[in-house]
Amino acid sequence: MKLLKWLLGIAAVAWAGQYVLALLLPNLAMETLYFLGNKRQGYNQLVVAPVPDEHSRQVVRPSPDLLYASCIYNLKEGALTIEAPVPERYWSMQFYQMNTDNYAGITNQRAERDRVGSIARVTLISADQSPEDYEGEVVQSPTSRGVVLLRASAMGDRSQQQAALDASSCRPANTQQN
Amino acid sequence: MLKTLSKLTAAAIITLALSAVLLARTIGAGLSGMTLQNGDWTTSTATGSEDASLMLKAGVALGGLLASAQSDSMYYRLSAVDGEPLRLNCRYRIEGKDYDANWWSVTAYGWDNYLMPNLPRRYSFNNENLVRDTDGSWVITVAATAQPGNWLPIGPAGAPGWRKTTNHDFDLLLRLYTPGEAYLNTPMSAPLPRVIREDCQ
Repeated sequence: MKLLKWLLGIAAVAWAGQYVLALLLPNLAMETLYFLGNKRQGYNQLVVAPVPDEHSRQVVRPSPDLLYASCIYNLKEGALTIEAPVPERYWSMQFYQMNTDNYAGITNQRAERDRVGSIARVTLISADQSPEDYEGEVVQSPTSRGVVLLRASAMGDRSQQQAALDASSCRPANTQQN
Repeated sequence: MLKTLSKLTAAAIITLALSAVLLARTIGAGLSGMTLQNGDWTTSTATGSEDASLMLKAGVALGGLLASAQSDSMYYRLSAVDGEPLRLNCRYRIEGKDYDANWWSVTAYGWDNYLMPNLPRRYSFNNENLVRDTDGSWVITVAATAQPGNWLPIGPAGAPGWRKTTNHDFDLLLRLYTPGEAYLNTPMSAPLPRVIREDCQ
């Protein structure tokens, strides 16, 4: 009888426990990604990944039809400027906070086709900064840390998209690109 | 006192392990409450969004971290045909045509959510590199051994087998980037490729 009580107790707590784990998992996964990314490439700088293959582990379920560049960011030291030439074929710049939410994004698709051929220049600020203090396109991150991911088509001749990612940057807002 | 502490520690470890197993099963079964079915394909309109349920966010964290939101891309996943999990020893036929999106692709992933090692280093087909019939339709054959035409090779996942927690050996992911209205508004009935299990060894 005592054992049955223990088993019922364990089953009940385990049932509730799966929801606690589900709550923790997104942050845990992003913290791991952040830690590994920071160790590999440092933060507040853009790194272009090789074309995905069976060895790629930076992105879960990488697409072999896309080129990726990422910036692991930390806004504690101030705002960041992300600059990226926008190629003709599919391209996007997506912003993720530490609970995996894709909280903002820009692209060269649909109503944003006029970005093609231009340079996207985004100032990324933290939640405690005011967008009014900055000129141009401003994205406000809900958390001080997160990830910016650039995607560009790798289909067919990818030279233009590769050149666009290679020329992109992520750096403190008060510095010039080298 | 020490005996009670040992019992409590053991109970805590068992509870944690059981919670992890229950969570894996819930995510694996697509019980997020926000997963939509279209034939054998499943999708979610909340992937990457702030509106995603607790379980969907956990599922994305495990199997689709850094997925983008629906307006940018839609992901349809298939891990079973007519209820039978995808197996490495079976051959599958994917039949399709063109889909309303800026571009689309079909990619095979191992149960570990990464691209599967294979000799031809072919991991996907997209709307530009498929060999098509004169009417624009196409067929992809998914198999471990070489096949004529559009062959999508499969093989053991890169991760060690003892870590496998899924029923399926691999799965297929249809990506639709800048998807059209049908995918955004009626994802459960929008046109998708058909997957047929041909034979198993």
